[in-house]
Amino acid sequence: MRGSVLPIENNLEETILNFIKEAFDKKCIEAVILPKRIPSGDSFAYLLIKDKSILEGASPFPPVIPVQGAKAISSLTRQGSVKKKILAIMHPCEIRATIELFKLKQTTLNNLIFMSYDCPGVLPLSDYLENPDENDQTFLAAQQKWDSKDMRPVCKICTEFSAPASDLHIGQLGTDEGKIFLIPNSSVGKEFLNAFGLNSDVPLDEWEAEVEKLKKERENNKKDAQEKLKTKVEGPENLLETLSSCITCHNCMRVCPVCYCRQCYFDSDAFKFPPDNFISKSEKKGSIRLPSDTLIFHLGRMSHMIHSCVSCGTCEDACPMDIPIAQIFNLVADKTQQVLDYKPGRNIEEPLPTVTYQEEELQEFEKPYSETYIKVEETNV
Amino acid sequence: MNKNFTPKIIYFMCNWCGTGGAESASAHHLYYPENVLPYRVNCTGSLSTVLILRAFIDGADGVIISGCHPGDCHYEDGNFRERKRVATIKSIIESLGLEEDRIWFRYVAHGEGKRFVDTTTEFNDYIKKIGPNPLKERSDT
Amino acid sequence: MSKLLKINKGVDEGTKALLEYLLEKDKVEGVITLKTINANQGICYSLITKPEELKDAVPLIPYMPNNEGKLLSRLTLREPLADPIAVVARPCELRAFIELVKRNQGSLKNYLFISHTCPGVYPLETNVNGSLEKKISQYWNKTKNTELIQDTRPACKSCIHFIPDNADIIVSLIGEADLDNNCNIFLSTNKGEEFAAGIEGEIGEKELESKEINLMQNKREEERKKLFEETNIETKGIEGLIEYFGKCIGCHGCSNVCPICYCNLCFFDSQPNETQPSWSESDLDRKGALRLPSGTIFYHLGRLAHISISCIGCGMCTDVCPVNIPISTIFSKVGESVQKAFDYSPGMDVEEPVPFGIYKEEEFTEIGEQ
Repeated sequence: MRGSVLPIENNLEETILNFIKEAFDKKCIEAVILPKRIPSGDSFAYLLIKDKSILEGASPFPPVIPVQGAKAISSLTRQGSVKKKILAIMHPCEIRATIELFKLKQTTLNNLIFMSYDCPGVLPLSDYLENPDENDQTFLAAQQKWDSKDMRPVCKICTEFSAPASDLHIGQLGTDEGKIFLIPNSSVGKEFLNAFGLNSDVPLDEWEAEVEKLKKERENNKKDAQEKLKTKVEGPENLLETLSSCITCHNCMRVCPVCYCRQCYFDSDAFKFPPDNFISKSEKKGSIRLPSDTLIFHLGRMSHMIHSCVSCGTCEDACPMDIPIAQIFNLVADKTQQVLDYKPGRNIEEPLPTVTYQEEELQEFEKPYSETYIKVEETNV
Repeated sequence: MNKNFTPKIIYFMCNWCGTGGAESASAHHLYYPENVLPYRVNCTGSLSTVLILRAFIDGADGVIISGCHPGDCHYEDGNFRERKRVATIKSIIESLGLEEDRIWFRYVAHGEGKRFVDTTTEFNDYIKKIGPNPLKERSDT
Repeated sequence: MSKLLKINKGVDEGTKALLEYLLEKDKVEGVITLKTINANQGICYSLITKPEELKDAVPLIPYMPNNEGKLLSRLTLREPLADPIAVVARPCELRAFIELVKRNQGSLKNYLFISHTCPGVYPLETNVNGSLEKKISQYWNKTKNTELIQDTRPACKSCIHFIPDNADIIVSLIGEADLDNNCNIFLSTNKGEEFAAGIEGEIGEKELESKEINLMQNKREEERKKLFEETNIETKGIEGLIEYFGKCIGCHGCSNVCPICYCNLCFFDSQPNETQPSWSESDLDRKGALRLPSGTIFYHLGRLAHISISCIGCGMCTDVCPVNIPISTIFSKVGESVQKAFDYSPGMDVEEPVPFGIYKEEEFTEIGEQ
């Protein structure tokens, strides 16, 4: 791979903001989507900005993800494509989710240019809100040192932290002091750099090596973390214990970028029953939990969207009961995506596994039949 | 094996081949365990994952899904759709340490009465061997 | 004066004895109350049909995982109950259910309501960080002494409707100095008397409104005033709304747990509320920048317009908010003034129609053409 080099002036954030301003001047883009601190100062929101003066003080690298970027993009383009050329700067997981939403026909990507960066992770939202000022410093330090100890549990084990299928990627790993790489991933990205007079011809071996190294490290962390999680959630006993504090608020579903349905199946009339249904169930077991169907909701939601789960961790941030829901989904997603041979957001051309079927696949899930099956009782006697 | 344990088994079968298999079993006077409860769907491709989960969590000890053999589906690819769903659901259940082997997927064609009876008996024996589904007793699902 | 049943047990045990009696004598088919599950790992509402399952019941624990009104509506949404079910609910949960019944989302038939003079509940997060158990002894001490419990939900501290008007049976808690050994249960309706007939205990007569209740009422009213003054939303205008709701992540959890928000599909999640990209772009041209997803303030104001008339101030919304917006304080405050304008008190009388459903020619003539 080849890319170009951009020198850092003062700090990274300012460099990127200046780069965007120049893009405005060069008429490469007409608007930009990026996070900015909200007026009360303790959180961030995605802004679609056209006015250069509002761009001042924006934070392309926010310490938290309050709203998943894919949700922001889809709220803009769900009903059709935009006419203006818009650049969107987002975390790699947000771009992967956007690609999934595109495949699910929940967004149109015409005229959108995506810019991603090597993501050090983000802080848990509730932790950040407790003390925004202090946590800003923590994040800044962690960002420079690539230290993920304060980051969210799913960020610590994220292996897809670099170069998703975006148009432009900012490489921060393996660069010389005071420089970043700008890596074009598509023809749009190349054109964009050409407008700046940047030739993408610098070899990126060091960046690639660093990314690989970090990936290996994260892979190991992931293995350990998943083993540890398994002791807490595996088996009916453990799983139901973990979910016992769930209050069925469905916040996890509402913030999930891939759960795009306006009306969730689990909130619909299909899940409203006559009283007999509850009473007869309760009589069988002695008592039942209300609201019922907690496990069905979580497993059912998995069965609906797990192939597209990008492990962004927004669900865990939104859970008022601190259930490690994103970690559980990450564990399940890893296994399921491997079985279905699909990686969400890897490639925009790759079809969703739920819409393509082949005769010769997944045959290991068919129970083989032998005509000579003999009843167990007969063999036992 | 607990001799007193009669498992509750839900048998999802498609309207065309699965049901046909059961019909030919009856035509040949073959018997299948009466604790297997047939549940007919138009095509296994129309069987939602949530329905399988509902059976798995809310009372069944085992679930079998039978559709047409590859290439025989009345709707071209319904059986492949269901196979993918079964694969998804089994992977989910397995990675959370629940017993994925309580869900079976096997093709049964119209006329394969013996295959239908063998499948039910084999599954029934298997579930008897592994015992009741721990989820169906729990009041906190 | 109403009938008073005295049971020589602590309030927790006394309430459980009452539930056990109802279940064992087959007076009710089931009981809905809070129960611990998985060896104290979680507390949730349960429908209990076997008396032995009552051993894990914790009917009076100061914790509210869901607004029970929503659950009662879930149970009777399709059809009314065929056989009686006893329900232990807090006053706000009963009020919520009555509001839902008015909106055809449930039926009161065959429910037996057991409630209590409510000292409040602790926020959900106390169960997450494990501090709930430690707080319980001080909770009961303060209840005995008619003191305000400062670390309960803000909505509970400032709740002035803590007497359950619609309950058939009321367990007296606030100001009961001897609640560790004595359980005073008011049988305030004939239905309540009928169900409780035959239970072991002394029967007497007493007024529910004691001087302790009046004292608590005053304290709560003061706290309410203080809380509203602190929030002071009415003087801040749009800046104030942005300050409070700017953090909103759009999870709509507040609407999902709100007992009054019963719609299957909320308007603010529906297709008519989605914007065409061309509208966003013209907004962008006009304003220079646009928040994505847009419509945060619109959502909260819109929800206020939809439900503030019936807001019963249970405080679930604040509890469930992942970014700690004091939603319930704002909703209570706005609700109070809306309800005053329509001269309506939500959840008090099931016969009283929701004002949005009735119109007269001769009302609100001051609004509109002069």
